[in-house]
Amino acid sequence: MTTTPAEAERASSPPHRSAAPLVRVLSAELRWVLRRPRNLLALLLVAALPVLIGTAIVLGGSPPPGHGPPVLSSVAGNGLMLPVATLVLAQNLLLPLIAAMVAADALAGESSHGTLRGLLLAPVGRVRLVWVKAFGVLAMTVLAVAVIVVSGTITGLVAFGGDGLVTLSGTTLPLGEALGRVALAAGWSAIQMLAVGAVALAISSTTEHPLVVLAVILGSLIVFGVLGAIPALEWLQPVLITTGWSSVVDVLRDPILAENLLTGLWRAGCYVLIGISATIARMTTRDI
Amino acid sequence: MRRNSVAATAIAGATAGVLGLTALTLPAGAEDPDLPAIAPEKLVASVMTAQPPAMAGTVRVNNNLGIPAIPSTESSGELLSNGSSTVRLWADGQGRHRISLPSEGGGTTVVDDGTTVWKWNASERTVTKYRAEARQESAGQEGSASSPHEEPEDPVATAQRMIDTLRQSSRISVDGTAGVAGRDAYELVLTPKPTERTVLREVRIAVGAEKRLPLRVVVSTENSEDPALRVGFSKLETAPQDAELFRFSPPAGAQVQQADKHDRRDTESGTHPQVRTVGEGWDSVLVTRVPQQTLQGRESGQDSEERLPGLREAAEQAGQRVSGPWGEGWFISTGAGSALLTSDGRLAAGAVPQPVLTEALRGR
Repeated sequence: MTTTPAEAERASSPPHRSAAPLVRVLSAELRWVLRRPRNLLALLLVAALPVLIGTAIVLGGSPPPGHGPPVLSSVAGNGLMLPVATLVLAQNLLLPLIAAMVAADALAGESSHGTLRGLLLAPVGRVRLVWVKAFGVLAMTVLAVAVIVVSGTITGLVAFGGDGLVTLSGTTLPLGEALGRVALAAGWSAIQMLAVGAVALAISSTTEHPLVVLAVILGSLIVFGVLGAIPALEWLQPVLITTGWSSVVDVLRDPILAENLLTGLWRAGCYVLIGISATIARMTTRDI
Repeated sequence: MRRNSVAATAIAGATAGVLGLTALTLPAGAEDPDLPAIAPEKLVASVMTAQPPAMAGTVRVNNNLGIPAIPSTESSGELLSNGSSTVRLWADGQGRHRISLPSEGGGTTVVDDGTTVWKWNASERTVTKYRAEARQESAGQEGSASSPHEEPEDPVATAQRMIDTLRQSSRISVDGTAGVAGRDAYELVLTPKPTERTVLREVRIAVGAEKRLPLRVVVSTENSEDPALRVGFSKLETAPQDAELFRFSPPAGAQVQQADKHDRRDTESGTHPQVRTVGEGWDSVLVTRVPQQTLQGRESGQDSEERLPGLREAAEQAGQRVSGPWGEGWFISTGAGSALLTSDGRLAAGAVPQPVLTEALRGR
């Protein structure tokens, strides 16, 4: 999906091909996503979230252990914990909601406006159309995670100060390494959200009502949460995308507890593969 | 035509994804390795002579014991309650350790740097400092801490004596091999003799063939197909470890408490003043008297709003009321044993059925 400038030039210079150059298509998609007021509003909301949590902790102190989300209790006096804590809270519903919203707009939304027909008739391969739409979802999801983390890091450093990070194992990491850990958490979380986005895109390709996509994604997240809590269905847990999400805090251990993180990556990768494949299968066999 | 091939590729991709997810649900299957036969005596002796290596490992604890929630246990409570948990271990082979119990959004880390034991609680952000107990032997003989014998005796003789004692009540055998954490291991199996009145069926210990390190312990009971307790390495690497792992300095802003010896015993052994063992072998029963404070419950130290429930309340909830010539009380049955708490505070517990418990109580 990334293109080097040389490739881009090669793609844009020969005028005889009818397909539009990839970079232009991708940037058009990006502009299309970022111009939507609801998407901008969503980014604003996720930027405000760590500020709100940080302010609440400054005013009221960390929740004592046993009350509230466990990850919040170590935020006070440990500023770089804030972005990761916010990420843990946001990835339960807020971030999946954003991924699903963009995916719903991408195909179902176009379909409901009648503009998908135009895209399917245009001289753009259908597989390519799926990749471009998937890029839109990717861009928005990564942006949302990045905004949370950047806003959280700034808020954390301003509100709680600190020249490093006290890990969950009790060691202190210098600022540079600590920022690396936070970036690692963000990358991992973004990949999990991409898994949601890919599945949402697949659902989006089967319907022309964007609301259906949102309902299915949020509904399944809630159902997954319920299934994960039933002891008799323990064997099902490794398959549920929501299972490993809380293990993002494992990057804050020293040494990093990689086991669950790697399983989570594999799981998310499988979901992305299923989502994208299903979308392509549906789009290439779809009648206009 | 081309459209069809794209669709076929896409369907193959989706199938691959589904298979990938299915792979996650399958247990990591390891084939039983071929190892030269070994006598149980030799195996036990080699475990006792083995030097604990420098290592880093992850231990999975699958607990199916069914112990009811015990009041006033903190981080250890998680290990006791049903479910699976992870313990991370590091050792430098010279008596320094690091143990980490990760929990959701927090966890406990214990670092033993050879002279001091530090306990870090991530969610409370507290450090508790214990003076390591005066070691009878010079540092570097950490292995003896895990074995009950401290006098420098010939390990082979010790092993022989242990086996002789065990043989009175159990059958000991080496039953095949297993792969644990990617290592070949012998399976040492202890089975109670038919005369033993116990609910346990067998204890199966996987001993690594190379380093002779116990890699897995599985306790099975008569009542259930699934093991009641399964503790084993899921990952193990024996290599020199970074010395930094075994050092600890309290992070800035953390609360540091000094724990004195008395305190430690108080919290760790659960304030049991006197424990007697009735019977021997598999059907031995521990009998003790529970202090009034533990029995009735008390005000929690820091948070006066919350009252720690007493053992009696817990027993009333989880147990079943029984009475007999020994008095009356509550009988609590778990996956691998049972306990009986009488109304006057006597407690009997063991891996035995109820009649053995009441017999032990009567016998005092």
